[in-house]
Amino acid sequence: MSITSVPRPRPAPSRLAPPGSARALRLEFKRNAVPYVLPLLAAVFYLNAVRTADGFPPVWTLRASTITDQMLFEFTAFAGGLAAWAGSRDGRRKTVDLVAATPRPAWARQGIALAGSLGWLLLAYLAGVAVLYIQTALQATWGGPPLWPVFVGAVGVTAVAMIGFTCGVFFPGRFTAPLVAIGVLVLYLTGFREALGITGSSGTAALLSPATSPPGVDAGVYYHVPPDLPITQVMFMGGIAVGLFGVLGLAPELRLLASARSLGSLRAALAPSDGWPLRGVAVILVASGVAASWAAFALAGTAKPDPVGGWEIPALHSAASDQPVPAAQDCTSPPAFQVCVHPAFGFYLDDLAAALDPVAAQIAGLPGAPVGAREVPSLSGGQDVQSGIAGNPAEFEFTAEHVGTMFGQFLGNGRDPVGWREGFQQGLLDAFLTGRPPQAGQVPIPLGPAQQAVEDALLTAVRSQPFSPSVTSAGVSAAAQRFAALSASARHAWLAANLAALRAGTITLAQIP
Amino acid sequence: MNVALTEIHRSFGKNEAVDGVSLELGPGVFGLLGPNGAGKTSLLRMLATVLPPSSGDIRLLDRDPGRPTARREIRRRLGYLPQSLGYYPSFTVVEFIEYFALLKEMPSAAVPKAVAVAVERVDLGAKAKAKLRTLSGGMLRRVGIAQAIVNDPDLLLLDEPTAGLDPEQRVQFRALLRTLGETATVIVSTHLVEDVGTACSEVALMSAGKIVFRGTPDELTARGAGHGVGDAPLERGYSAVLSAARS
Repeated sequence: MSITSVPRPRPAPSRLAPPGSARALRLEFKRNAVPYVLPLLAAVFYLNAVRTADGFPPVWTLRASTITDQMLFEFTAFAGGLAAWAGSRDGRRKTVDLVAATPRPAWARQGIALAGSLGWLLLAYLAGVAVLYIQTALQATWGGPPLWPVFVGAVGVTAVAMIGFTCGVFFPGRFTAPLVAIGVLVLYLTGFREALGITGSSGTAALLSPATSPPGVDAGVYYHVPPDLPITQVMFMGGIAVGLFGVLGLAPELRLLASARSLGSLRAALAPSDGWPLRGVAVILVASGVAASWAAFALAGTAKPDPVGGWEIPALHSAASDQPVPAAQDCTSPPAFQVCVHPAFGFYLDDLAAALDPVAAQIAGLPGAPVGAREVPSLSGGQDVQSGIAGNPAEFEFTAEHVGTMFGQFLGNGRDPVGWREGFQQGLLDAFLTGRPPQAGQVPIPLGPAQQAVEDALLTAVRSQPFSPSVTSAGVSAAAQRFAALSASARHAWLAANLAALRAGTITLAQIP
Repeated sequence: MNVALTEIHRSFGKNEAVDGVSLELGPGVFGLLGPNGAGKTSLLRMLATVLPPSSGDIRLLDRDPGRPTARREIRRRLGYLPQSLGYYPSFTVVEFIEYFALLKEMPSAAVPKAVAVAVERVDLGAKAKAKLRTLSGGMLRRVGIAQAIVNDPDLLLLDEPTAGLDPEQRVQFRALLRTLGETATVIVSTHLVEDVGTACSEVALMSAGKIVFRGTPDELTARGAGHGVGDAPLERGYSAVLSAARS
């Protein structure tokens, strides 16, 4: 064997930006596993998120809540599993030695593989958001797309992808990906909140989970949704993502530590070497991630409900977000019974007027009869507002909570516009026959038997369905049928004469003509 | 000196896989022979800088692979074909080789031409755009060889490179080895003594973690004179040396 001089050294590429990173990323992107499961993800997205959003009134904040409540459910499960698949690739495909013998640091290689998967996942996520927001934009009558839920969702997908990828790197195997996906799914199904046992008194750290129940129907309509909670969630999940990326950078050292069987090998694992700048960056990332997540955890612990249905975190809260959102109400034309709603609910103004007009006509001119109806915020001082009659001239004040049944959101029975209309008419008559003002607090006590009989009769008169006879007593039904059989003028005259006694609850069923 | 090993040991638990190997190599094709479990793959993995030695001194391309900066420089000039070649099934032939060219930090502008040359050298031009999952075992082996040589390495480590190749491909491959050995140090670990006889200028035989013979193929053949085991002269030399080592 001949001995010759060592070949000339080749130019060293930059440590920070090795050549060909963009080309390698293009290959990772092109040959990624994510596109293969996109059709399945799209189907699940349609069946869950799109259909749920479709069941919500087209109000931006409410519709946007499906991003964190529904979309993240499927996207994080897929993100976790697919990222774990990508992270475990070299272990599964037995290319560990092959890639380890290349000069590109493991951290850089893993970063490129992660970026390929994460790029696809974020693109798919943003496409899903676009579908939801375009659908909402075509139906909404006021406002614009909230961006915080989008940002929270994107960071959530990134954090779960990071968790999955790290699991894949450290525990490579063909079962890692499905196990991670199932783990994320179970976490979501049980819910962070339930897992951590959040209640009114048990602490609020579980608010860090983006999975929540839908907000009130008029959340973000009368008052801004404060960004306190989204900021904390982004800090928490972003901290996890950054910290885990740092852990990937320390993977070789961690493996050495894990396999260290003697003091000597432990010293070797911890010994300073000329790879310390990379290690240093990784340690800083881990420390930053832990600090951000810890700070978010501490901040979430100080959260308290705000008066309009959201959460505020004192250290992050801005008084500006407590100010009402200025908006002029949409109203039907006078002089008929005038119905006014917040412009965000302009989409159901005509339906609402069509529902209330006939009932209003039945009671028009009676003492305390409303001359119009006006929508008010559904929460006041942290309590639900109950509809009632107030003002001079009297107005029926109602909240947008009623609109939910139009879309089948709250009852879970699908769309029920007839039920919604009749419920609204009952609401107006309840308030009129009891004379109660709008109030924040408990649901008012039910009507008395005579009041119920009169209400049923008036509903029958406008061709709406009264309370089911199975709910009301036979006596109430009989009295309602008698009263409905009277002419409109006779009913009106009897009500004019007996309304005060009816409201006071001193009229008996037998006294109803 | 491209490879300089001094008293290299590597153990896995109580098993001493490599037991005091010393070796100095310059350019040329070097054959590493030995039975299963002789320590060839462990030695090659240490030369590929993916397995640190338990003790001993390694210098590759005049650098210490124990130091990260030097190791990175060595890897930039290294080609390695592991015994068990993993691959990414969804990549095409060209994409897989390109990916490894990029991992070897070749200048981006030089990659397409280098990939094309490597593909042609292993005679895979007709399958350049085929997905790896569609290739036969022999073709995959050639893809592995192509990724190993794509960066025109100064140190090329090939573990069982001819496994799965048909006779015609093996002949072509030996010619390729001779060409590569003109400028680089090529270390070929193999069971197939005929590969060594035709392609290697020097050969070492390992047994139980030690190098029990080092010399030219002709010298190994000469060791087999009068030894009855083996069909070919080189095989008889191989068997004779092993028998002597075991006794």
